[in-house]
Amino acid sequence: MGDGRWRLLALLAGLVLLVAGCTGAGETGDADATADTGGAGTASDAAAGGEGAAPAGTFVHAADDEPLSIDPAQVEPGEGGETMILQAYERLVEIDPNGPDLIPGLSTEVPTRDNGLISDDGLTYTFPIREGVTFHDGSELTADDVKYSWDRVIEMDLPESAADLLIDNVAETAVTDDGAFEVTLTSPTASFLRAVSTAMVASVVSQDAVEANGGITAGEPNEFMATNMVGTGPYTFVAWNRGENIQFEINSDYWGEPANLDLRVEIVPDPDVRVLGLRAGDYDMIETDPSFIGDIEGAEGVVIYSEGLLLEPIHIGFNLNIPKDQLPSEDTIPADFFHDPLVRRAFNHAYDYDAFLQGALGGFGDFNPHYVPQGMFGYDPEAPLYNQQDTAEAEKLFREAGLWDEGFTVSVITEEANLFEIAALVLKDSLEALNPKFQVRVLAVAEAQFDEAHASDPVPYAMWVKNADPFADPDAYMQAYENPDGEWGQIHGFAKGYENPEQIASLIDEAALELDETRRAELYSELETLLYNDPMWLIAAQEGIANAHRDNVEGFVLNPLWPRPNVKFALFNKS
Amino acid sequence: MQIRDYVLRRLLVLPLLIVGTSIIVFSLTRIGGSPIGIYLSHEMSQDEVAQLEERFHLDDPLPVQYLFWASGVVRGDLGWSGVAAAPVTQVFPTKLAASMELAIAAAIVAVVLGLALGTYAGARRNRLPDHLTRVFSISGASMPLFWFAILLLIVFWVNLGWFPVGRSDADIYGRIAHPTGLYTVDALLAGDFAALRDALWHLALPAITLGYGATAIIARMMRSSLVEELQEDYVDAARAKGLPERLVLKRHARRNALIPTVTVIGLTFGFLLQGAVVAEIIFQWPGLGRWMADAVLRGDQATIMAYVLFTSVLFLFVNLAVDVVYAYLDRRVVLGE
Repeated sequence: MGDGRWRLLALLAGLVLLVAGCTGAGETGDADATADTGGAGTASDAAAGGEGAAPAGTFVHAADDEPLSIDPAQVEPGEGGETMILQAYERLVEIDPNGPDLIPGLSTEVPTRDNGLISDDGLTYTFPIREGVTFHDGSELTADDVKYSWDRVIEMDLPESAADLLIDNVAETAVTDDGAFEVTLTSPTASFLRAVSTAMVASVVSQDAVEANGGITAGEPNEFMATNMVGTGPYTFVAWNRGENIQFEINSDYWGEPANLDLRVEIVPDPDVRVLGLRAGDYDMIETDPSFIGDIEGAEGVVIYSEGLLLEPIHIGFNLNIPKDQLPSEDTIPADFFHDPLVRRAFNHAYDYDAFLQGALGGFGDFNPHYVPQGMFGYDPEAPLYNQQDTAEAEKLFREAGLWDEGFTVSVITEEANLFEIAALVLKDSLEALNPKFQVRVLAVAEAQFDEAHASDPVPYAMWVKNADPFADPDAYMQAYENPDGEWGQIHGFAKGYENPEQIASLIDEAALELDETRRAELYSELETLLYNDPMWLIAAQEGIANAHRDNVEGFVLNPLWPRPNVKFALFNKS
Repeated sequence: MQIRDYVLRRLLVLPLLIVGTSIIVFSLTRIGGSPIGIYLSHEMSQDEVAQLEERFHLDDPLPVQYLFWASGVVRGDLGWSGVAAAPVTQVFPTKLAASMELAIAAAIVAVVLGLALGTYAGARRNRLPDHLTRVFSISGASMPLFWFAILLLIVFWVNLGWFPVGRSDADIYGRIAHPTGLYTVDALLAGDFAALRDALWHLALPAITLGYGATAIIARMMRSSLVEELQEDYVDAARAKGLPERLVLKRHARRNALIPTVTVIGLTFGFLLQGAVVAEIIFQWPGLGRWMADAVLRGDQATIMAYVLFTSVLFLFVNLAVDVVYAYLDRRVVLGE
């Protein structure tokens, strides 16, 4: 190549980069251009605005992970897809943005016994369906769509979803002659309405859209619905650019208060980039946890919201159902190690709660009794709970259990590089500082490896760390995490360890059926005391909500009962 | 044997090599255990796990699993990417195109800067410009990529607001077709210069980050080659003829110094393609590197297998192409001599 051509090439490349920088900054400096494109929220907009503000017209949220599915029938509880579904789909009844009360959604009324929409036997719920509501595909909402949506979840029965919520509770669905949706339960369940108001699996989808795109196949996901959304919510799904963003636009035909801004959810796995983007003004809000607050505190134009607690306590599980000869070879504990309540209590007293709260959580969090999180109906502030390390009591209990002089080695498995690993390391430090003969091996592994071990039955480890799934009713926590006949009760063999398993099971079941709220609260209070003395978990903390957004965000409201990040973007505006 | 026969023979062997490669790839990824973990959530029961195993045919014996996977590959189905939540075949081309585009842009930065700096320094050996260029080059080669990337982000994104992260402005990207997956090329094909500007604007920071490290290698190679060439007799002859020093450098010495440098540039492109992982993660670039890093960390075997199979088959084809070129250049290869 001749000299002239080299020079030309060099000049061209240099110019390209120069022009890219200069013209880029100039392009979106034009406020009109920003408005025309819906406001993409780019750095140049921030520069143009001069105050680091993302453009008006679009709310930009930086999420930490990509959804696995955005189909209500497939979405996994606690997973990123729930955030998207909350914005584009609706349920029959919803949670009031400012509290735990139920408000009408696609049903014009919240069923109660007083309004006659719950039958006297507590089995049949009737939902009058709102008229004049259209799906994003233009079809009109009817009770048939609601029935189709719920029947679809039950028929598909996808293991990753929360289909069990409907399968376990719903005996029959029907459309009444006057166009209402009627559901008959298998047994009276006090938690039913709350559960279907917060569970994304109960969202209503467009029957026309599903039938036009693959219909329903038992046990098989619907690829169209896994990657598209056709709901009735204030946001219409536009596009999912994998690894980049998910885009929504305002649903101009929305039956209720329409959204103020379009919405773009950026997929930003790197927490440092999320923080920088918020500071740059490219993101209006970011997904974060308390450990990143230090990076944001004091940043210009950034507001940190730190009120409230997540409904996902971080807990360490005790396995009472250890499979013979399957523990890691270094473990010296016998299979019945955790059968003794003294040992479980000793672990609970030995844990350095303050270290975890002030260290890993940066002070954002609190503690809850076994097993009702704060902010949940049935939480008793007077109930005894483990929230302070008590080494003297721990030593006493370990001595009584006959473990003090001999010591032990136990492994705890956890996902690597997150709060769970830190919770496990605090356990290790707590116990090893208490007695050098106590050895805790923290096995921090990749998420897939942890999930595989965690899904085993029996679990081949004596202990593991994770957070609870968020639920809307204490019954769900009690059934999942305390009932000896419940999910974890069976896998971990709680019946082998409870001093009185029948009493606990009976109280939990009684509370589940009790429709009198005062009596129901008393039952949970009684359970919280019983379970303090006979704990099946070590609850490291109830993580605090740490939300960070720009100071020009208006109408900010957050409800822990909504899926993370616990917000409905349609309620927000920007100044 | 004619070249045509040689090529045909090699093409006939190719499917066998691909099958062998696929068996090795499948076996190696299964050494780490079942790929079911990526599809599980932490609250699943054994029954639910069994349902998922059935859905992905992971409850079958390994040979059956291989046949299922291989038949899928033949049909163009490389499985379901757990981390991308989409079929691998759907995601792969877009990710590959994004990485290629970044690597090409970084290579342009590296080549242009590297050659310019190397020439400038080589022609001024042991003088101040040479020392300054050396400092610049060494800092590029020794600076950790992630640190440099974060530094650029803080300065040009957070503080100055001149450059963004990500690959595109979502609205502009969405308004043009993407037949090639290379945003710049697609923008040109669409005749949309705002989109081209957007593509280049987003490319700038990651390309500079990646390209800076490679610049150092090219600049050092160019400098040392040029210094050597400038000591050759033909350079003295050119000077003795009275040729101006500028022309001696450009027409004679630099042209010869480029020969070893071009070899390095070729190798550098491979380095850029592989080294893009960190830049892709930090700059939110939706490329192959970021996807693969995520897949490896989360144990997404379908994605890993697809990637390894792709690179293996690519290597087989490149190898075939090289052998054909050899055969063309040296007939003894064809005749087996």
